[in-house]
Amino acid sequence: MTGMVAQMPDRDRKVAERVPTDWKTGAMQTRIRRRYAAERRFRFMGLAAVVLSAAFLAFLLVTMLAQGLRGFTETRLALPIDFAAAGLEVTPAQLEQRGADAALASAGLERVVDNAAVAAFGPDGMDLISDTAWIRVGERLKADPGLLGGQAVIAVPASAGVDLAAKSGDTPLDARVAELRAQNRLTTGFAWGFLTGADSTDPTRVGIWGALKGSILTMVVTLLLAFPIGVLSAVYLEEYAPRNRWTDLIEVSINNLAAVPSIIFGLLGLAVFLATFQMPRSAALVGGLTLALMTMPVIVIAGRNAVKAVPPSIRDAALGIGASRVQVVFHHVIPLALPGILTGTIIGMARALGETAPLLMIGMRAFIAGPPGGFTSPATALPVQVFLWSDEVSRGFVEKTSAAIIVLLVFLLAMNGLAIYLRNKFEQRW
Amino acid sequence: MSTLALLILLIGLGIVAWVSARLRLSRLAGEERTHSLPLYHGWYVALWTAVPPILFLILWVNITPALVSYAVIDTPVAARILPSEPLERSALLAEARALAKGQIEAPFNADARLLAPAYAETQSRYDLGATALALILAFAGFAYAFTRVRPDFRARTRVERIVMAALLGASLVAILTTVGIVASLLFESFRFFSMVNPLDFLFGTRWSPQATVLPGEDPGFGAVPLFWGTIFIGAIIAMLVAIPLGLMSAVYLTQYARPAVRRWMKPILEILAGVPTVVYGYFAALTVAPVIRDAAAAIGIANASSESALAAGLVMGIMIIPFVSSMADDSIAAVPGSMRDGSLAMGATSSETIRRVLIPAALPGVVGGVLLAVSRAIGETMIVVMAAGLAANLTANPFASVTTVTTQIVQLLTGDQEFDSAKTLAAFALGLVLFVVTLLLNIVALRVVKRYREAYE
Amino acid sequence: MTQVHIDTPVQPDAPAPHKMTARNVDVFYGSKQAIKDVSIDVDMDRVTAFIGPSGCGKSTFLRTLNRMNDTVSSARVTGDIRLDGDDIYSPQMDVVQLRARVGMVFQKPNPFPKSIYENVAYGPRIHGLAAARGEMDEIVEGSLKRAGLWEEVKDRLSDSGTALSGGQQQRLCIARAIAVDPEVILMDEPCSALDPIATAKIEELIHELRGRYAIVIVTHNMQQAARVSQRTAFFHLGTLVEYGETSEIFTNPREVRTKDYITGRYG
Repeated sequence: MTGMVAQMPDRDRKVAERVPTDWKTGAMQTRIRRRYAAERRFRFMGLAAVVLSAAFLAFLLVTMLAQGLRGFTETRLALPIDFAAAGLEVTPAQLEQRGADAALASAGLERVVDNAAVAAFGPDGMDLISDTAWIRVGERLKADPGLLGGQAVIAVPASAGVDLAAKSGDTPLDARVAELRAQNRLTTGFAWGFLTGADSTDPTRVGIWGALKGSILTMVVTLLLAFPIGVLSAVYLEEYAPRNRWTDLIEVSINNLAAVPSIIFGLLGLAVFLATFQMPRSAALVGGLTLALMTMPVIVIAGRNAVKAVPPSIRDAALGIGASRVQVVFHHVIPLALPGILTGTIIGMARALGETAPLLMIGMRAFIAGPPGGFTSPATALPVQVFLWSDEVSRGFVEKTSAAIIVLLVFLLAMNGLAIYLRNKFEQRW
Repeated sequence: MSTLALLILLIGLGIVAWVSARLRLSRLAGEERTHSLPLYHGWYVALWTAVPPILFLILWVNITPALVSYAVIDTPVAARILPSEPLERSALLAEARALAKGQIEAPFNADARLLAPAYAETQSRYDLGATALALILAFAGFAYAFTRVRPDFRARTRVERIVMAALLGASLVAILTTVGIVASLLFESFRFFSMVNPLDFLFGTRWSPQATVLPGEDPGFGAVPLFWGTIFIGAIIAMLVAIPLGLMSAVYLTQYARPAVRRWMKPILEILAGVPTVVYGYFAALTVAPVIRDAAAAIGIANASSESALAAGLVMGIMIIPFVSSMADDSIAAVPGSMRDGSLAMGATSSETIRRVLIPAALPGVVGGVLLAVSRAIGETMIVVMAAGLAANLTANPFASVTTVTTQIVQLLTGDQEFDSAKTLAAFALGLVLFVVTLLLNIVALRVVKRYREAYE
Repeated sequence: MTQVHIDTPVQPDAPAPHKMTARNVDVFYGSKQAIKDVSIDVDMDRVTAFIGPSGCGKSTFLRTLNRMNDTVSSARVTGDIRLDGDDIYSPQMDVVQLRARVGMVFQKPNPFPKSIYENVAYGPRIHGLAAARGEMDEIVEGSLKRAGLWEEVKDRLSDSGTALSGGQQQRLCIARAIAVDPEVILMDEPCSALDPIATAKIEELIHELRGRYAIVIVTHNMQQAARVSQRTAFFHLGTLVEYGETSEIFTNPREVRTKDYITGRYG
């Protein structure tokens, strides 16, 4: 045996007989240690990737919150006004009727308020209070007409400059604001106007309601179009469609539409709805139509998966007792698939709500100073409003933009939460 | 009558038809068994009553504005005051229309006041006609269907046939949308290419469409700097961020993390994909860009731009992380467990198993996922619009400002532009390029992923 | 033939008489006990077969011998398992080295999606067993020769391992296992996914490998156990019912349950 091995060529002998590995040698131990170090490094890199990604998210949200929460507050100045001395030519009876605002305006309330500011704060008084301070005073008067004959201290919104100096500092007005604060004349309150107003050029006067209403109108149109069309397509493709070239074409179309960049849908809306059909520019109707085309494929794909998950045994059972195929689908398959379809719909709608680019293409970026009146009147939308405000030079818009982002994120969070809730509550395991 | 009121009336008529059909059936049938349930008879008649006039109304709403305009142009008043220049002409008509509808109170052009009555009158004439036609259609449909309600009438089959038609119609919307996209992009692009040589567009390196050009001069429609900017931000910088972070996150969450950690971290990372892009854009422009500019200045890069490719690409990469990680997650999960066992049983450590067996085995799926992510990144608009800038530079310096295809589409189409100019049409040509490239990327990616899935099934 | 004495006390300091010894091993998956109090010895130069009805725990027990159960987070192993007298579950035992010394071949052939060469070279590469390219070539060639696959694949070493036939894939996996020069080879139903001709080749291979390694094979095929093994252990419901010389077990089982199983009363 040994002799035979010796006669073999060198290489073959090596191949046939290997020296058993000695795992205890120093070199081998070092190698093992190095391998374990590499293992720890790799694992740490993985953990670092997860932590870093989550940290980005946290940083993003914290930044937005830190900047945005201030956007929900306004700085107010305590303004003493002597109405009796000012001689406003308005009767208390007029204040309780309609047209009180017009009466106050023509009686020169704005001038009265400006004078009061100068009297109270000195020559720069008019620059300290907001241009719209008199409206707040007017509201106060309407609520309490008895004030007309006497004096009152009314908290009016401060100007953008004072607001900024009070909140973040680093402005020319800092010293003045510190002085006012020392005199206890500066207060901070919740800016209801931000929730009820619309766009403006003055950051202290802007509100989110105009954009929010535009978004709601747009979403209504999107939902009304995309949901039925999406569900019906999903049902057709999954339950009835014969396997042929047409069906393949529909499938390919839907899968590709789901991946088409959103801005392309904007171009489609511009070329088809605006240029060809002459629909109104900047309208929620067109925005909704455009976003519906974008959302529909998402709903179809989610709907098909939900319909597919309904087990065939249920269809067989219904067909077995003599139901027609339409009855099977509408009585059994769709109700069972509904939670899945709804989850997909909400996720698609959330995506549409956050979408900006296609709406820019169809002109929903105009400056619109009031909430839209209807589906065809000029409107803007929440994410577009964020975009528009982010472009503003005035520093006061920074916190307003972040505040608008918070509103947008709250809506998205609510929608996604609802989707998760629906999925967990109605998820069926067959 | 307004369209909405008419619509409600028609739906009301449909309900009436539904009820009356059931009454007729029960009167005719008595105790006798009917072929179809009364429900279906009701639906049959209701659909015949309401659907044709509603379809007519949809058509009508889309064509009347044009018809009304033509009618107004033909009136003697219009002939006297309408300017011949097309742009002014359409502006005046639009104002007159808005005035007639009460959308505005004071027109810029006083002539619009003269036209408004003609508008209002024509409009009301057409509205009246529409109402009459719709009602005639409704009653005709009702009469036709109502007389057919008999116990042996196969109402259910008819209704189901209508339902099937609706289903088919709904699924054709997808094809129509695709056709609409392709047709509008192609049509406008052809018009653009009749003004600008396609080769100059695709291979030219000077992009300045906003500049005024003298005849015979280079019009500045060379899109190469845009293509480069798009690739630089979307396919290079963003992927340098997203691939390592996404892949390593997926590896950690699938191979190392405890199930509880995985259950929480996976959805948290997916939130990154759900944040609206405008928020990322704002974040990039307001928070990230200044930091990068200061950092560039600190390491001695002169005149670093505040709108840098790096800021936009970095933030876009963060947005893409969940796409890469969920595709990588799926791909790694699709590798049979026996591979992992086989490697571990050889005495490989987890990281050796992952690096040498799992990732190579999952590579086609991961590559497919990355291609999808790239397609997503290059079509992304808001981040680059807000953070990347408008300067069409051909540079590989990440601290410099570059511009992208999507940024320029937005730039060309916003503001007051007439629809037929080369500038607006260029946006459609850019859109066409973007559409074709993302489509190809998606097709290739899906094919790669599909073939990979089949290999392990 | 004599009965194997499994109650020999193990002396950690003295050279162990057996290659591997297991004493009072319990395995739990969560709260469910999969293996109850199993004690067994594995020797060099022998093939030990684990037989028993499916779900009896024979594969689970096999996986405790190279700590593959570690990869299942809910699994817990108690008892004492030693390789050459060293406790393999002690903190001093390095699982990576353990698995290199106790190789494993799985039920379904699981070649990596790499070339044939790279499949075999994988183990030596990660363990650093070859200093030079030439040495690696020798290891690959030797392993493939010992697995009886060399003649069939020597001209296409760069083809993918997954392109081979099922039987060839399984022999490739055996070549891959012996490339790191293990002392024990665990085989978990290695022929269950193969056709009879491929099975015959693997069995022949097991015969040839017997001289160099301690081999443990799990099989549900009693004829196979009788053909390839020298010792047989019969598992039932997580317990070791009987363990002895194969000829003894098959001709003269001591336990009624073993007899019933072998004669086909259940299984």
